[in-house]
Amino acid sequence: MRPLKSSLLVLVLATVCLAQAPNPLSNPHVRRLGDQLMCLCGCGATITSCNMLGCSHSKPARERLLAMVNSGESDSAILAAFVQENGVEILAKPPAQGFNLLGYVVPFIGIALGLAFVWFVIKRFRKPLAVAGGPEIDDAAYASYQAQIEKDLEKLDR
Amino acid sequence: MENLGAIAVLLAFCLAVFAIVAGFVGGWKHNAFLAHAAGRAVYSVWFLITVAASVLVYGLITGDYRFAYVAQHSNRAMPLLYKFASWWGGQEGSLLFWSWLLSCYSTVVVFTNRRRHRSMMPYVIGVLMMTQCFFLIMNTFVASPFKMLAVGRTIQSVGDGNGLNPLLQYPAMAIHPPMLYLGYVGFVVPFAFAIGSLITRQPGDEWIHTTRRWALVTWLFQSTGILLGAGWAYAVLGWGGYWAWDPVENASFLPWLSATAFLHSVMMQEKKGMMKVWNMVLVSGTFFLCIFGTFLTRSGVVSSVHAFAQSSIGPWFVGFLAIMVAGTLYLILDRLDYLKTESRLEGVISRESSFMFNNLILVAACFSILWGTLFPVISEWATGEKISVGKPFFNRINIPIFLFLLFLTGVGPLFAWRRTSLDSLRRNFQWPLIAGLVLVAGLLAAGMRAPFALTAFGLCLFVAWTIVAEFYKGARAVSAKTGGNLLAGAYELTRRNQRRYGGYIVHMGIVVMFVGFAGSAFNMDSTVEVNKGDAFSLGHYQLRVMDLTSGDNDNYAWNRAAIDVNKDGTPLGLFYPERRFYKSGERQATSEVAIRRRLNEDLYLNFAGMSDDNQRAVIQAYVNPLVSWIWIGYYVLLLGTLACLVPSKVRLQYARTKVLGVKKKVYAPAEK
Repeated sequence: MRPLKSSLLVLVLATVCLAQAPNPLSNPHVRRLGDQLMCLCGCGATITSCNMLGCSHSKPARERLLAMVNSGESDSAILAAFVQENGVEILAKPPAQGFNLLGYVVPFIGIALGLAFVWFVIKRFRKPLAVAGGPEIDDAAYASYQAQIEKDLEKLDR
Repeated sequence: MENLGAIAVLLAFCLAVFAIVAGFVGGWKHNAFLAHAAGRAVYSVWFLITVAASVLVYGLITGDYRFAYVAQHSNRAMPLLYKFASWWGGQEGSLLFWSWLLSCYSTVVVFTNRRRHRSMMPYVIGVLMMTQCFFLIMNTFVASPFKMLAVGRTIQSVGDGNGLNPLLQYPAMAIHPPMLYLGYVGFVVPFAFAIGSLITRQPGDEWIHTTRRWALVTWLFQSTGILLGAGWAYAVLGWGGYWAWDPVENASFLPWLSATAFLHSVMMQEKKGMMKVWNMVLVSGTFFLCIFGTFLTRSGVVSSVHAFAQSSIGPWFVGFLAIMVAGTLYLILDRLDYLKTESRLEGVISRESSFMFNNLILVAACFSILWGTLFPVISEWATGEKISVGKPFFNRINIPIFLFLLFLTGVGPLFAWRRTSLDSLRRNFQWPLIAGLVLVAGLLAAGMRAPFALTAFGLCLFVAWTIVAEFYKGARAVSAKTGGNLLAGAYELTRRNQRRYGGYIVHMGIVVMFVGFAGSAFNMDSTVEVNKGDAFSLGHYQLRVMDLTSGDNDNYAWNRAAIDVNKDGTPLGLFYPERRFYKSGERQATSEVAIRRRLNEDLYLNFAGMSDDNQRAVIQAYVNPLVSWIWIGYYVLLLGTLACLVPSKVRLQYARTKVLGVKKKVYAPAEK
């Protein structure tokens, strides 16, 4: 009876172990690298986040990543190997060099130009309005207008 | 019956052409008869498109599989809701849906303005009908939903249809496209009024007053559509996320950003008579981005996982866009004299300049997303090498921009119009700033190390504090005057200036959403292959598979797992993630995820399918902190927008600077 119990225990343990066989994504290093690589199956996700069951690209890629991480290869060597095999397209972020550098800098150049434009607008429109040629107004009228202006502008903040 | 829809669309096209000619000629020649006829033509166009749409919907519901569109997008097993939703589930139907919505909007515009804007309305009708005409060309000549299945010259019917894409058979998805379309199409109206104003050389901002509510309502539809889309992605796609920076998602977000910029900058024109050219550019840009988004979604220029209706209609959209952009540019440049600013800035640190910065950052965010979306195409064109621009790229570029925008959300409203003194800055920002910094220090001390999340949480508290302080100060003053409590004071305060305080509520909604976005820095997930009785854990959760079952109905077959969940030993009950395999069409699989939603975190379980040997179930488990705050934030935003739409109890009038004369003494404004 005892051998049978032991066998059953081994079977149960084996099932549990099989069920929890090391998934490449349980390795944080693999997850981090997988987040830098695109899944090329067309899902638009990274190798880490592609959740298509049995995906023809992300599944073998994860297994390969795990193997390369376990063999002690450096991150840059692993990424370079994937790029060599699949082209730059596999990188989730294009490398910040050559023409692709534009991808990173253009938005910020846009912001810088926008800031310069806003600064120009502020400088330009801070100049007083040209009112030459208008009729002169007396002190009493001026005071009443000034009071009215202050009153009206107060409303803007209400 | 089979010809009625096609004939109705063709007649609608003819009448739309007539409305364009009658509108422009009637406006130009001041011919009231022609202008009136153009308005009547708009009603007729609406009637005819409604007839056409009814024919299509009737065909979808009754299963008239002689129509190619019905055979492609409907089937007998689908519930009635999804048969109806098939109207916008495919290319041809969704273009007819565009047309119908536009005709509804045009009819409402013509009816509500039948006694107003007599000089401008014929041109407004002309512009509306130009857009209508473009979509009717699509409906009639390019992508007709009324094509029949035929062998030779004999019309044929198939036994059953392919059905709606299973991913779209979800309640939120049934209303997500209409909401987005309502938002996209709706911006035609402010655009048409802006163009009408330019053509008639109106120096004032009548078009802004007329279209403010239109713009706000359509912005709300866009917001609702985007959030429904995010909710759908979260609940249906099974990847545990709600936003992936996919080109189609980006296409829906771009007009929202420019529309948000427009809603802010119109206040400058209303209150100070400034930024008139900019408002023209923004309202036109928003309309163009709506069309461009549709082009991007349908043309296949960029690859997207969400593109459900790709075809070769792209060049038509490019042509239409080119004509409209050229015409608008010409009009703006030709009418610059009528768009001159009426006021001058009095201080660099002022509400006026904060609006400019807010607009700059919103437009920069819009540009950077557009740039990232198109960059793979540009790069391939320039270098010949394919590249990918995924979530990491967009996050790297956009997170700093959006955090700065969040900062401006807090500081902008606290700047006074004209100028802000340093004393006022200190008074308004001291405590919110201290609170934000204390929170960041506390989170750092608690071990949080994610820099963007830390910044986001600090800014969220900073902005929330400024908003609450504004309500508190105002409510205290009102309650002191009226004798009521603070809550009644806050209500009365909002009623007196709905736009201002409604706007604050919208800002609070955005803050609440940012709390949810920041939570994604702490997501956890696990993928396991399990059998009945197996257990695994994720974070504080212990999960055990209690049962694995399968079955089928007319529409789909399913695999389901019953998972018993405990959190730190406390039982939370059974959860049932499911995998469905739809029988029609391409037998696509979809996920019915099981989500335990709580304010602090969601537990998200996805039955991904069976293992390679078909012996074990593959379960994906995610713990997503703070996600619920995104959906809560939407409801706050909805409340705030509705508050903005209600007229204030006190009618506010905004003074404009007008030079009445000159005084030798230099004007020195009174000290505040």
